[in-house]
Amino acid sequence: MRDSQVIVTGAAQTPFNRRKDGTGFRDWALDAFEAARLMACLDRADIDALFVASESDVFSLQLNPASILATELGLTGAAGMRCEAGGASGQVAVHAGVQAVASGSARQVAVVGVDPSASSLSGDKMRTLYGFSFDAWTDGMTGLTATALYALSWQVFAAEQGLGEAALAAVTKQNRGNAMANPDAHLPREHSVDEIAESPMIADPYRRLHCSPLSDGAAALILTHADHAPAARRKAPRVVGIGGATDHAQLGARSRPGDFTAKQKAMARACVLAGIAPKDIGLTEIYDSYAGAQLQGLMALGLTGDVAADLHAGAFAPDGRCPVNLSGGLMGQGAPVGAVGVGQVATCARLLEGRYHPGLQLQSPPRYALADTHGGLCTTAAVTILENGGAA
Amino acid sequence: MIPYRLSLDYTLHPGWLEPFVEGLRAGQAVARRCADCGRVSFPPVRICDCGSVDGEWVALSGRAIIRARTTGADGDFALVQFVGADTSAVVRLLDMPEGATEGQLAASDHDLPQLCLGPVDGGQSA
Repeated sequence: MRDSQVIVTGAAQTPFNRRKDGTGFRDWALDAFEAARLMACLDRADIDALFVASESDVFSLQLNPASILATELGLTGAAGMRCEAGGASGQVAVHAGVQAVASGSARQVAVVGVDPSASSLSGDKMRTLYGFSFDAWTDGMTGLTATALYALSWQVFAAEQGLGEAALAAVTKQNRGNAMANPDAHLPREHSVDEIAESPMIADPYRRLHCSPLSDGAAALILTHADHAPAARRKAPRVVGIGGATDHAQLGARSRPGDFTAKQKAMARACVLAGIAPKDIGLTEIYDSYAGAQLQGLMALGLTGDVAADLHAGAFAPDGRCPVNLSGGLMGQGAPVGAVGVGQVATCARLLEGRYHPGLQLQSPPRYALADTHGGLCTTAAVTILENGGAA
Repeated sequence: MIPYRLSLDYTLHPGWLEPFVEGLRAGQAVARRCADCGRVSFPPVRICDCGSVDGEWVALSGRAIIRARTTGADGDFALVQFVGADTSAVVRLLDMPEGATEGQLAASDHDLPQLCLGPVDGGQSA
């Protein structure tokens, strides 16, 4: 995809938070889609296909959401499909959209991610359901929670890398701190180390403040073939690499349970398509469902060879060599699951184009940005590489 | 906002995992041994990393070594390796003393196929 013809002409999201205003997922999807469509300078009739990311019908109590949203978004007649890969649902929907445009089967597509992850069901019910997002027979029945599973993987990784509480606190402070300048963020906070250390223990060593929240919200992209892009959007960022991979669903079946091997493979595939190496990435939105997962992800993606040293040196800070999760990530911005991967790509595109929130916008956007998502305990990984189109 | 209650009663079918599931309900570790390379997986892996689809069910002692453990509001869980298995497993710990390094597969209190590990011989583990 080095000479990619897939342009991100529209990129938008709603606030991610816990909605208490009586609005529902259809409202959020329309808000995000309309903002992206207007940015893309397109009419609804220009959209050939709709790709919807939504993790579970159980959250929304709406089966077949792509058909519902096609109607709700005024896209009746367009092709429609729903994409699902757990936490990576949004990113695989982006991949489906990219492939449709790159193949020539569609001129322009809408990718809409949405989930009511916070306001539909109680936290306890969601925790139980998420146990079944791993292997239902070996994990879900046992009552294993996502936090406990991630904690076990982190313990193995942390022991190998010489990381501990301080590293978890540094990620937590940075992501929530970045979210302070993001008006769409669910948890903008200035945490102290003591506050983090004193928050309730959920699954040792993960405390409540090391965990991402469940949120409501939506995000949307318009992907357009260069031959059909409006003149005003031809220099918008392009998708130059996509990559996906899977790992054993059971943590215990992996030879190295602390490593995110699927992410490593997905990144390698995306880099081959883009014709670049991980060192060329100048900013990234990483899947930080837990503070430690961000560091496991950085290693797997090849963005560092010594994560402890680079974290300490500020390499991933807003003014570092590769800013990570300027949006606040899942921990700070929030996590309406289906919207996460779509929102990550939208954030990268807006940052590359110089159209992000003023307090977080890089003055000199890099050439390449990376959006990274996974489902399960990095059982399904999906990454997207964007290249600056020269608009900034 | 409209409160809505939905109660679902599933009938689940474990399929090829039936020996494993029935073993768990009885407190027995039933593993899968690859017919080609001999690798033993517990929980069972259907298609071995060597590519073979052929295997046989073998009973392990149920004794397991604890590799990592997590405790908190979500419960007590561990990454363990059952003796005789080449893979690891994630289990719920039942009344496992702090510092225990091994345990024994325990039958679930519920009518569910749960991977639970209790103290060896029902007593203190060392």
